[in-house]
Amino acid sequence: MKYPALECLKLERRGPVGWLINNRPDQLNAMSAQMRDEFEVAWKTLNADPEVRVIVHTGEGRAFQTGVDVTELATDGIGMERYRESLENFDLRFTSWHNDVWKPVITAVNGVCAGGGFHWVADADIVIAASDATFFDPHVSVGQVVAIEAIGLLRKMPAEAVLRMAFVGRHERLTADRVRELGMISQVVDPPDQLRVEAQKLGETIARNSPAAMAATKRALWASMEVGLKDACRLGAQELVGMWGHPDQVEGPAAFAEKREPRWAEQTSGSSRDE
Amino acid sequence: MTYQSLIVLRSGPVGWLIFNRPDRANAMDATMLSELEHAWHELDEDPSVRVIVNTGNGAAFQTGLDMLQLSVDVGALREQSRRTKRSELRLTGLQNNVTKPVVAAVNGVCAGGGLHFVADADVVIAAADATFTDPHVSVGQVTAFEPIGLMAKVAVEPVMRMAFTGVHERMNAQRAYEIGMISQVVDPPENLRAEAQELSEKIARNSPAAMAATKRAIWGAIEVVGMGRR
Repeated sequence: MKYPALECLKLERRGPVGWLINNRPDQLNAMSAQMRDEFEVAWKTLNADPEVRVIVHTGEGRAFQTGVDVTELATDGIGMERYRESLENFDLRFTSWHNDVWKPVITAVNGVCAGGGFHWVADADIVIAASDATFFDPHVSVGQVVAIEAIGLLRKMPAEAVLRMAFVGRHERLTADRVRELGMISQVVDPPDQLRVEAQKLGETIARNSPAAMAATKRALWASMEVGLKDACRLGAQELVGMWGHPDQVEGPAAFAEKREPRWAEQTSGSSRDE
Repeated sequence: MTYQSLIVLRSGPVGWLIFNRPDRANAMDATMLSELEHAWHELDEDPSVRVIVNTGNGAAFQTGLDMLQLSVDVGALREQSRRTKRSELRLTGLQNNVTKPVVAAVNGVCAGGGLHFVADADVVIAAADATFTDPHVSVGQVTAFEPIGLMAKVAVEPVMRMAFTGVHERMNAQRAYEIGMISQVVDPPENLRAEAQELSEKIARNSPAAMAATKRAIWGAIEVVGMGRR
């Protein structure tokens, strides 16, 4: 599948792993209005490519992501007003979660992750980081409210660390080791230059599992965060049962018994519901 | 009652529920599925039991449904499927409305459906060589109840990683301790039962009525979205 040429992002596929790379290294990968628009194109493209089983998201240069491009905000005469409608309607399109991507998404934090950068930490399934990556949320230090990113993180990890980050602002940074202890990420890659190698390896490992089962699992797990435990399990049961009779459920045990790699049914757009 | 697939015993104020199919990695067959309901109720109704410890015999703690055996016992599989559909499983203490504190003592591999017993216990400890893995998606199965239960209790990212890496990765006891999925790593591993007994005897010194109400309050809170303050 041919990918569209984008200016602020790079898209590529390596084996079963689709890569989305933030590509404004000179601006620490800050999200300009153009980059924000390109994200929607990028996620939809990788989601639609049947050869992509897993998606890795990382950045070029010394930053992963540093949130909205403050220089652009200060100079374009429009500022945050450009985003008022999408925020008031909570109609965002720049993370995989916003775009209903049901393939597993790995965020590989290659350096500074600041402020709005946490959108892609909160909204990924799996997060790994280079050992020299740092994490902080400068919103309140520049007079901005932090809400959506921190709320997403609160659902996924101990709250105290998130609240401290929200209130200390730019005056303190968390290390990769500390966020691993907290369960915000699961792997610290050292030396840091091995991050992409490890992300590709992890992506290929995950790509060996049933795409249909993973899509249904992902829907069930993310839906569970919207409701209480019993309702979450009731919704989960629909995904469990929805997969019964799928060819992967015959192929999986057969491959296991024959000690070979399973040949999973082709999966498009990370969805098993349309089949 | 006498059990075939479980061992149920008392030691002071502590009731023990032990998975006992060591040659099948303690996988749950039709017999164990029905015996689990009996065992939880027996221990919960026995006034001499203040705390329940759940562990396994042999190298594994619990590895989920024994699909091979269940596929032979069509009746049991049908009943289990019906309960799965309705989200009405009766495997764990929580699912059986046990009112007493439950300590899971993970003695070895805890895989797939075995994670139910970790997610639904009040306190979890593990032997230093215990491992945790969720192979569902590697055999074409969806995983839902177990990770959903864990996500309500611990950091989400490590649970999702377990769900999506499937059989290809295992979490060790040390990492489970770091993320708070368990509260104690027992080393050397053979001291697990002694430590579980000692911990449970401490818990048994507390007010049974206060602990039952506390258990209802805390698990009830996990059902509710939001803190109810506005």
